Amino acid sequence: MSTLEVSNLNDGTTTVATTHLTNGTGKAWCNWNGQGTVAIRNSHNVSSITDNGTGDYSVNFTSSFTAYDYTSTAISGRDVSASQVGCFASVTGGTASAARITELAGTTFFDSLLFMTAIHGDLA
Amino acid sequence: MTQHLWTRLLEAKSRLKPVQSKYRVLFEDPTQPDEPAKVLVPDPNWMAAALAGNVLPPIDTYQRDRLVPDGQLKEHPYSEPIGAMSEEEAIEYLVQKDIDPAVWRDYQGNRTIMKIVPVEMIPADRSFRNAWRIMQ
Repeated sequence: MSTLEVSNLNDGTTTVATTHLTNGTGKAWCNWNGQGTVAIRNSHNVSSITDNGTGDYSVNFTSSFTAYDYTSTAISGRDVSASQVGCFASVTGGTASAARITELAGTTFFDSLLFMTAIHGDLA
Repeated sequence: MTQHLWTRLLEAKSRLKPVQSKYRVLFEDPTQPDEPAKVLVPDPNWMAAALAGNVLPPIDTYQRDRLVPDGQLKEHPYSEPIGAMSEEEAIEYLVQKDIDPAVWRDYQGNRTIMKIVPVEMIPADRSFRNAWRIMQ
């Protein structure tokens, strides 16, 4: 494999530093099924998920972040039978090597058929 | 120079077919006795990389990195990759990587708090998920 070492990319009019690409790229993402037999459909930079209980999952990274200061976004599939509130990053249980994602319907945790999360931040 | 682990994972994903594991790891956290049993679900892309070899770092790099404070240089992304593992070896690696040592190394009680089981042994009915315990 060959390596191209450049600091900037230029399309003829606009110049972008390559650090914009490396810093702006999502560093981990995961799509999984939270109903029935929990399983990961697809991902990048994820070694496993931990099913902590109803609507409560940890996404474990293969290549960790520098610190627990990354951002995570998460959504879940809409279920017409439940009053889903949304996905949340748990205030406890997250680390530089794992993000904890919970899903609420009303005031209780809820398992969705579809969970998706993407994490941006600085890798270790 | 060794490529960063994240780059190796990208390259591996582009050429390897995902492998859904036959196993799950069921475990209880001895520091949280009121919480239900947890289930570790291996990632299919990670499993493919583990079985193929030359992607993942040695497990002891992760164990040393547990002690590294946030913001300081970690060892595992820059370590030389290890060779191919069997699926059973990959699950043992994953236990040591993604489960707290309080479960798989330090626990001295009499309860069984961790089991590696075929995926069929995990109930598909999650109605009482928060009451799951490991049968003794």
